[in-house]
Amino acid sequence: MNLTKNNRTDKNRKETFFKYLFLFCAFVAVISVFAITFFVFARGLKPFMPWNDSGYSLIDFLSGVEWRPGSDKFGILYMIIGSLLATIGAITIGVPIGLFTAVFIAELAPKKIANIVRPAVELLAGIPSILYGVFGLGMIVKILTKYSPNAQGQSLLATILVLTIMILPTVITMSETAIRAVPSCYRDGSLALGASKIQTVFKVIIPAAKSGIFAGVVLGIGRAIGETMAVMLVSGNPIAGIPTSLWDRVRPLTTNIALEMGYASGTHQDLLFSTGVVLFIFIMIINLALNKLVHNKIK
Amino acid sequence: MVDNNKFYIKDLNLYYDTLRALKDVNLQIKSNKVTAFIGPSGCGKSTLIRCLNRMNDLIEGVKINGLVAIDNTDIYGDIDVITLRTKVGMVFQKPNPFPMSCYDNIAYGPRCQGVKSKTDIDAIVEKSLKQAALWDEVKDRLNKSALGLSGGQQQRLCIARAIAMEPEVILMDEPTSALDPIATAKIEELIENLKKSYTIVIVTHSMQQAARISDNTAFFLSGEIIESDTTSNIFTNPINKKTEDYITGRFG
Amino acid sequence: MRKAKDYLAKILIYLSSFITVGVLLAIIAYIFINGIGLINWSFFTNEYNDKTYYLQFEANKLQLSDNSYKDNIPYTRNVINNDSEPLYIEELGGAIIESKKGSDIEFIISYVEKSSSMLEAKDRRGEIVGIKEGYIIRSINGENIEDKNLEEISNIVGDIQGNIELKVTNPGNGVFTNIITTLYMILLSLSIATPIGILAAIYLVEYARPGKLVSTIRFATESLAGIPSIIYGLFGMAFFVVFLKFSLSLLAGALTISIILLPVIIRSTEEALKAVPDSYREASYGLGATKLQTISKIIIPSAMPGILVAVILSIGRIIGESAALLLTAGTVSKIPENLFSSGGTLTVQAYYVAKEEANIEMACAIGIVVILLIIILNLIAKLISKIFNKANY
Repeated sequence: MNLTKNNRTDKNRKETFFKYLFLFCAFVAVISVFAITFFVFARGLKPFMPWNDSGYSLIDFLSGVEWRPGSDKFGILYMIIGSLLATIGAITIGVPIGLFTAVFIAELAPKKIANIVRPAVELLAGIPSILYGVFGLGMIVKILTKYSPNAQGQSLLATILVLTIMILPTVITMSETAIRAVPSCYRDGSLALGASKIQTVFKVIIPAAKSGIFAGVVLGIGRAIGETMAVMLVSGNPIAGIPTSLWDRVRPLTTNIALEMGYASGTHQDLLFSTGVVLFIFIMIINLALNKLVHNKIK
Repeated sequence: MVDNNKFYIKDLNLYYDTLRALKDVNLQIKSNKVTAFIGPSGCGKSTLIRCLNRMNDLIEGVKINGLVAIDNTDIYGDIDVITLRTKVGMVFQKPNPFPMSCYDNIAYGPRCQGVKSKTDIDAIVEKSLKQAALWDEVKDRLNKSALGLSGGQQQRLCIARAIAMEPEVILMDEPTSALDPIATAKIEELIENLKKSYTIVIVTHSMQQAARISDNTAFFLSGEIIESDTTSNIFTNPINKKTEDYITGRFG
Repeated sequence: MRKAKDYLAKILIYLSSFITVGVLLAIIAYIFINGIGLINWSFFTNEYNDKTYYLQFEANKLQLSDNSYKDNIPYTRNVINNDSEPLYIEELGGAIIESKKGSDIEFIISYVEKSSSMLEAKDRRGEIVGIKEGYIIRSINGENIEDKNLEEISNIVGDIQGNIELKVTNPGNGVFTNIITTLYMILLSLSIATPIGILAAIYLVEYARPGKLVSTIRFATESLAGIPSIIYGLFGMAFFVVFLKFSLSLLAGALTISIILLPVIIRSTEEALKAVPDSYREASYGLGATKLQTISKIIIPSAMPGILVAVILSIGRIIGESAALLLTAGTVSKIPENLFSSGGTLTVQAYYVAKEEANIEMACAIGIVVILLIIILNLIAKLISKIFNKANY
C-alpha cells in the first residue's frame, strides 16, 4: 500500500491556503477592535496632549458645565451626569417591568398568549431607534408638555421614558431565556414542598436564573448609555446646566456627538471625539465592573 | 511480520490526556478474514478500531505510542492520512448517510478523489450498491434523499459508500447494534460475502454475532487484549479464565 | 398574608406585561396613524426635493360624470383650505384645490381624469413628464397665478385655445432615492460582512483549538457587539471618511456597517455550524475527504439555512441603523452615482425630516415602510428555520 505523503500537491496547497484564509477572517474582528479603539482615542486624546497648541484642558473638559463652541467652552460634566441619570432612571423602571414580563411569558401565561407576547417583544426589538425618538417626540413629549412646570416636554423624564422602552426587549428576552433554562426539577421540588407558583418564581427560579437576568441588565445598561438617535429628539440638548429635576432638559454624551459632528471642525471636532472617548471608557468600566461582580457572585 | 497479516499491531498504548485507554496491545489481523473485537462496554474495542484508520486523530488530547502497521507500513509514521482512509474504510454504529440523494452519498468519496465523469460515477454507484446487496431496493430511487431509507437500508448504503472507495479493509464499529434482527441478518449475510474481497474488522457487543460471522476473535477487557485466537478456539476452548467467564455470561 | 403577597405580585406581573404590549401597540399605532396619510404611489417614486417644470399639453374638453373628484384630497405639507372645494376645470381635465401655507396660498392639482392630456404633458425639450395629482401650479401660459382665486384661474384657462403651458412643481416628499440608497447599502455591507463572518466562524468551529488565540478572537467579537453605534460612527468618520479619504460615501458607510454586522454573523454562523451533527464529519473524514472538502461539501450546505437566517436578520439591522450612517454616509437625498457618493438611507432620512424639518408625518410614513420590511424579514427568517428544521435531521 503506497501511503507516502506529498506536501506540494495542489490539493495540499489549497488546504493550507484556506486554513490561513479562515484564520485571517477570524482575526478581522480583533483588528477591528484595535482599529476602533486606536482611531477614536487618537482623535479624542489629541486636544489634551501637552504639545498641542490649540488644545484644551482635560480638567476643564471633564468638569465644565457648559458647552459653547463659539466662546471656546467645552465642558461635558453636565452631559456625563445627564447620561448617567437617564441610564439609572431607565434601568430602575425598565428592569422590573422587563423581568416581570419575562416571568409572565415564561411561567404564568397560557401558551396562546405567550405566543402573542413573545413576537410582540421581538418586534419591539426590531424597530429602529429613530422611530422610538419620533414616538417620543410626538407622543411622550406632547403629553409631558402639559404637566411640565417649564411648559417644555423635552426633558430628563422624557429621555428616561424613551430609554426604558428601548431596553425592555433586551431585558425581557435575556431574562426569559434564563428563566426557561432553569431545570424543571427546581420548580417541581418547590411546588412539591407546598410553595405557591409565585413563591416558586421569586424564591427559586429568579435566583437560579440570576446570571442570565444580570447579563440582560448589563446589556440594557450598555444600550441605554449608548443610545443616540432616540434620545436626540426628546432630551432637549441644552448647552449648559446640570440637571437637577426630572423636568430639566439634558444633553446626553451621545447626542452631543451626533448633533454637532455635521459642522464641527478642528479642535471642536476633536473634542467631540473626546466625548466619544469618555463614553467608551464609561461603557468599558461598566462592563468590566459588572462582569467582575457576576464572576464573584458565581464563585 | 507474517505474510497474510493485513495489520500488525505491537505494544500499542493510547492515552486520552492522562487516562490510559489501550494497554500494550499486540495483535495481528489476517487478510480477507473477519476479525471480531468483543468485550464489555468501554474497554477499548472502539478505541483500537479507530486507531486503524487514524480516526482518533480527530479527538483532542489523544497520544499514541507503539506500532500499527498495514502491509508493513507504519501508519503513524510520515504518511498521507487521506490516502490511508481511502484504503481503510469505516462503517459506524449509527447509520450516518449524508443529507443527500443515495446516488450523491455513494459518489461523495470518488468525487473527493477527483473522479468527475458521470459514466464513471454511474458505474461505481451501481457496482457498490450491488456489492452491498442494496441495488435492487434503491435503483429506482437513486436521486431521492438517503434519509428516507429504513435503518437497515441506510446502513447498507453506508457500507456501499465505503466500498465505493475500493478499500482493502472495512472497519465496522458495532454496525448492527442500532438495527432490528432482520436488518441485522441481512448485514451479517453481506459481511460473509464481503470478506472474499476485503479484510473486515468488526467491533460487536454481541458474542453470538461474533460467533456467527467472524473467523478470528480478540477479547478486550479494560484496555487490554486478554486473548485472541480463531473464533472456534475462543468460544469452545478459551485459555484465559476471564475469557471463559465473559463467554459464559458470568459478567458482561 | 402569603395570599395577599402572591396577589400583589401577580398584579405587578400582569401589569408589566400589559405595559410592554401596550407600549408596542402605542408605538405602532402612532406611527401608522401619523404616516399613513402620506403613503401613495408618489411617496415611493418621488424624490424628496421639489422639481419644477414647464409642461405643455393640448387643452381638453372633458366632462365629468359625477362629483366624486371632490373627495380626492392629495397630501400636502400645508393646510387644505376648509372653506373651498376642489374646482374641476374641463380644459385641464382635472381639479384644483387651494392649499394654505401661513398667509400664502398654493394651488394643487387634486384630481386628474384618466383620459386627460395633462398626463402626457411634455416639457420644453419634448419629453413626456406628465402632470399628476399633488403637483402645484405656479403659472399658466406665463401668467403667475399666486394671487388669484380658483374662479379667476378657471376663467384664464377657459380663454385659452390650443396649447396650455403650466409651470408646475412636483413637491417631492418621496423616498425613492432613500430606497435606492438603502438597497445599495444592504448589498454592499452584506457582500463585505457575510464572507468574512462565515469564514471566521468556520475557523472558530472547525479549526480552532482551545487556547489564547481563540479566546482573544472571541473576546474581540464580544466587545464589538457591545460598542454603541455612535462610536462606530466616530470610527467610520475618523478612519474611512478622513484617514482613507473616502469622504462621506456609500463605501464608508458600508464598511462601517460591515464591522457592526460581524459579531452577529459570526455568532449565528457558529451556531449553525455546530448544529451539524458530528456523525457527518466522521463519515466524511472516514471516506478520505480532506478538511476543506468536508467543510465545503457537507458542513456548509447543511448549515445553510442557519446562515441564511443570520443574513436576513442582518438586513433588518442595516435598515434600522442610523447613527453610524449619519456620520459616514451623510443625509443627501440623491440617487448615489458611485461608491463614493454620499446618500441617506430610509432611517437616516426619517431622522433628518423629524429633526431638521419637524415633519413627523413623513418620518412616520418612512417608519411604516421600515417596520413592514422588518416584519416581513422576520417572518421569512422564521419560515426558513421551520422548513429546514423539519427536513434534515
